[in-house]
Amino acid sequence: MASQSQAEEQSTERAGYFEVPGAHLYAVLHEVEQPTARVLLVGPFASERHNTYIPWVRWARFLAERNIEVLRYDYRGIGESTGALEELTFEDWSQDVQLLSNWLAARSPKAPLILHGLAMGAVLAGRAFHEGIGDGLLMWSPPLSANLALRSTLTRWVGLEQIFKFGGDRRSASDYVRELEQGSTLEVDGYEWSTRLWQESFGFSVPELLADDQISADACERPFKITRLGKEAAPLGRGGSVGYDDLKDFTWLFKPHFEWIAEAATKSNQRKQNAQIH
Amino acid sequence: MLKYTDTRELISLDILGHRVRGTYHRSFDDRTSSWMSGTCADRPAVLFLNSLALPRAATGDSAVYWADAFARLGYPTFRFDLPGLGDSDGQASTDLLDFINGGGFAPAAAGISKELVERGGYSGVVLVGHCAGAVTASFAAAAFKKCKGMILLDPYFYLPVAKRPESREKLSGWARHSALGRPLSNLFDRVKHLKLFLRGSALPGNANTRLLRKWKELSSTGLPILLFKAPGIKAQGSKPRVGEFDYLEHVRKLAGRKGNLVMKSIEDSDHSFANRAGREAVRRDAEGWMTAHFPLTNPQAHTKAVSFPSAGNKWNGSSRAMVATPNPDCALEGR
Repeated sequence: MASQSQAEEQSTERAGYFEVPGAHLYAVLHEVEQPTARVLLVGPFASERHNTYIPWVRWARFLAERNIEVLRYDYRGIGESTGALEELTFEDWSQDVQLLSNWLAARSPKAPLILHGLAMGAVLAGRAFHEGIGDGLLMWSPPLSANLALRSTLTRWVGLEQIFKFGGDRRSASDYVRELEQGSTLEVDGYEWSTRLWQESFGFSVPELLADDQISADACERPFKITRLGKEAAPLGRGGSVGYDDLKDFTWLFKPHFEWIAEAATKSNQRKQNAQIH
Repeated sequence: MLKYTDTRELISLDILGHRVRGTYHRSFDDRTSSWMSGTCADRPAVLFLNSLALPRAATGDSAVYWADAFARLGYPTFRFDLPGLGDSDGQASTDLLDFINGGGFAPAAAGISKELVERGGYSGVVLVGHCAGAVTASFAAAAFKKCKGMILLDPYFYLPVAKRPESREKLSGWARHSALGRPLSNLFDRVKHLKLFLRGSALPGNANTRLLRKWKELSSTGLPILLFKAPGIKAQGSKPRVGEFDYLEHVRKLAGRKGNLVMKSIEDSDHSFANRAGREAVRRDAEGWMTAHFPLTNPQAHTKAVSFPSAGNKWNGSSRAMVATPNPDCALEGR
């Protein structure tokens, strides 16, 4: 058996922490020597992280094997990152995307930076992209707002909760929403949602320009793509069961999106070369 | 990127040809920069194993919460992703449940335990597993002599059906929705109970006999085991639903006179124990059990661990918590 240090030296996946105010962000870099592009993966929120973890890691490895360097991370206050979730805001999570984007973009040798977000992560990535971060944007199942992402998680949780309840013991998603709006915290899958989180989520949305790639693809200079994932993509899309659907083969989904990222990187390089010429 | 913080260190090991990755939660009195410093050689390490396909943080990051608590108490605590899960390398079996129920992860879990003891200099390991992780812990404990104890959260001792037939799901759904649902469901339970009664004490056909043999091997030697039971569907306290075989009573008998098994029923939580009430109750009882069985020479002064009996098979009744939610993340819930 190799020693710990040998294992780390040989590994192309490096886990580490980034220091942020009051917490440490957990991140894993899938390192590539001469990358054709770099991708920051902004994953889904709270309990959705757990459900999608295996295919999300496999996606990172799929890209790294094809010469694309990837950084994935846990939101502040969630998973391996530290911090008190109930004290955090969407602004904090936006700052984390900025910090990690800057870190990844500054790595040498230079390569185009693509942001890729899933669900709530697509909202965060979309907003960062709109602010000028990154050379391309890929969004999987972006909700129009953070509130819709939270509602989607809540609906799934309530649906599963109802499986174990009979008749009058069953409570609807609206009942829980009412509680949240009246100032109570709500535990969803072991995560405490505060009223503040819920209220702020209404105003935290994908910029209008990026809401529909068919309408506005020409309006944006940098390439971006939206893919709505269906049930067949579970658990990355809605539905599925932990331990079953997350272990299936996702090559059919990964391959065309890898090709899009490679193409977006090529376009970005061409655009930069043209800009230098002019 | 930093490899460690004041309280945690990220580590990787090569086990059986796979690079496995994990997190070390530094014991409060470990001021060194590496888990291999040997400063906690007088005590066992605590090792958390994955529950089914969940990453090492577990539902609601409950494993992180418990690991922090054990480390604050003075026990070096590790959470590792087994091969193919979480951040670790390897391909998990597509028949993951069957693989785990057959003890498939035991060599890797025992290998990690061995590395921790050899390199960290600990006196042994206490394995912690939830649901399918409890199955892995039991098989691994039997394969590693320096396993000093186990904390098992809602273990199961049968071979569950991975996915029930759609028609069965629809029927269950109808029973839950309809006004007739509960009485009909109760009637169904009674019929099952009658069948169970006629079978006598014979094990059900889907019992995991291999696991039960390992359990008997382990528990009858007096290995300290703390077992948490979550409330089941239509079940009261430690007792199973009417018509279901009482596996906990069965494993208690298997442990025999020498057995050192403590069972706790956590009320008002769910199968994951991840809600505030569940995680708090588990933390409190597990801390008490740890300090009773593995006393520290220099315990943390402000620790308020509850007192615990140290030997013999005990049913310690229930710990009452506050909020109840089911566990949506575990595929085995309710099966």
